[in-house]
Amino acid sequence: MDYTKQIQEIATRLFAEDKIDVFVGYRLTGFDDNQVPALIRESKDVPLLVFNQKSVFNLSNYLKNDHTRNKRVGLVVKGCDSRSLNLLLTESQVKREKLYVVGIACEGVVDDAGQKMQNCLECMVPAAVVYDELLGEANMERRFIINADIQDMAAKELVQRREYFEEVFENCIRCNACRHSCPLCYCAKCCIDQETATLYNGANTTSSAFHALMTWSLHLAGRCVDCRNCEKACPSHLPLHLFHKWNERVIYENFQEHLAGVHEGDRGAFYKYSMQDPDDFIM
Amino acid sequence: MSVETIVTDKAGLQKFYEAIIAKNETYAPVEKFGKYDFKLVKNLSECDPESPIAKTMSAKPLFFPRSAKIMKYVATSAGTDVSETDEDPLAGKRVIVGMKHCDARALQVLDKVYNWDFIDTDYQKRRLNTVVISTRCDKAETHCFCTSLDYDVENLDAMDVLIVNGNDGKVYIKSKSEKGIEFLNSGVTSHTSRVTEEAAGEELKKQYTAFSASFRLKMDYKSINEKLSKIFDTPEFENVSSNCVSCNTCAFVCPTCHCFKISDEKVKDTGVRYKSYDSCNNGYFTLMAGGHNPRPAKYRRWRQRAMHKFVYYKERFGENLCVGCGKCTTSCPVNISIFEVINQVSK
Repeated sequence: MDYTKQIQEIATRLFAEDKIDVFVGYRLTGFDDNQVPALIRESKDVPLLVFNQKSVFNLSNYLKNDHTRNKRVGLVVKGCDSRSLNLLLTESQVKREKLYVVGIACEGVVDDAGQKMQNCLECMVPAAVVYDELLGEANMERRFIINADIQDMAAKELVQRREYFEEVFENCIRCNACRHSCPLCYCAKCCIDQETATLYNGANTTSSAFHALMTWSLHLAGRCVDCRNCEKACPSHLPLHLFHKWNERVIYENFQEHLAGVHEGDRGAFYKYSMQDPDDFIM
Repeated sequence: MSVETIVTDKAGLQKFYEAIIAKNETYAPVEKFGKYDFKLVKNLSECDPESPIAKTMSAKPLFFPRSAKIMKYVATSAGTDVSETDEDPLAGKRVIVGMKHCDARALQVLDKVYNWDFIDTDYQKRRLNTVVISTRCDKAETHCFCTSLDYDVENLDAMDVLIVNGNDGKVYIKSKSEKGIEFLNSGVTSHTSRVTEEAAGEELKKQYTAFSASFRLKMDYKSINEKLSKIFDTPEFENVSSNCVSCNTCAFVCPTCHCFKISDEKVKDTGVRYKSYDSCNNGYFTLMAGGHNPRPAKYRRWRQRAMHKFVYYKERFGENLCVGCGKCTTSCPVNISIFEVINQVSK
């Protein structure tokens, strides 16, 4: 999966036709094969752009950036990235006409060690769902997998689960990097920043980490697209995907196989009402 | 003060660690979720004193905790009673093993801030009660650049005991301070093979030469300091900060960042006041009551961080605030390298 040449051609063309102000893609760090997101503003920098299996970070996060706000943006999206972009469009955070989206039919990205990322192995929507131009063939049939971590968690007793997550919360340092790197966390004022609130005080205690992470994950329930930006950002390497994958499974099983951001205009499981919603838990 | 050097081997070093852990309240890097953090250990198998820098959190929280209770209060009808917390941050002597040079250097930097216009007594007592046992790295990691900064990696006085894995297969345990000598004589080692400084010195030098040759990153900090101090208004800051996601991780993992915020945890009428880490990359870091924010744009916050590290701190205390450990770079979700950025800006 290497679309470096095509993406450079597209970016050059867009700058030449004056269709964009900034192009958001990836470039190499310069000393190894890891990549840094690049916000290209002039056509002379276009040759820096690359795209291959190391292009990991979800770039739709940059749509809430100072450098892209109110500008015409060219953007590279993989399958998961395009789903979060779809949600940003649905939630009126970006305007479609301001974007030129280069979709990728993704074959999976790899982590620092060169292993295919776990979320890519379980990916349901590898090809971009929103795009002006699609690179690669979108023909992969996938089915919903409940991953091993979630199966293990489900097999555990509640007490064991509690013990496990207490350890997670103890190792959280409350830097909120997970929130900042999430493309769908765009609230101008986030509840976990409320310094004066009783539950979410800024202290790094197990209880405040619990409240912050639980609120955050529930706010993303039915919206999380499993791009794992949060996990990559976590300096403590916490298994944050467990929260999101658990929610994803519950929602998939209970809300007509709902997957976040796959369909344009889909407001997400918790934001819509359907006659088919389960109501057997109501007395 | 006589400086002593104990010469031993790998097995002797393991025994040394075991004796330390058995006799002292010992903190060492403990692995959890693939990342090492300094925690209280009961035996050597729990920890890895030679954990890699990139995967290890700084030991800073042992001196400047991620969250410290600074007071508690009870609101009554007659007014508010304020009292000390029952948490004693200064209890007992303790030992830290597995700290690297950069981490030890960071303590020297923090010492200056916390003994400046206001003396932070909690910090000071934590420092006095701690014996720092530091290991010199054998090889530089990808993002290390400690030898390019304004401190002498070879002779650092923040550590009490220095451990060097010599290229000759021997391990040199060297006391670096009074505290260190006292500690080495406290029965943690039964080794009698002690050599003079001159005899050990040569091997330590050789190890240092090999270590300093392994650096990928090298720069001239003086020209960086000078250039940065003149380019406050350069638009280049906007370019280099464009891909930062303001996630604050860099400040939270940094061994020298020392900004904090104050927050309360309150239940009904009683509350505890906490002092916790904060980051200048946060949009609300400079937000004032009334709504004015002097650093509203991301590039300004970014510039503040870079300038504080390499210009402002230097102007006030004569040193760089960066120790070159590369922790910010390895933790960055988008792989931004502080080394690369400051060099690009001051080009």
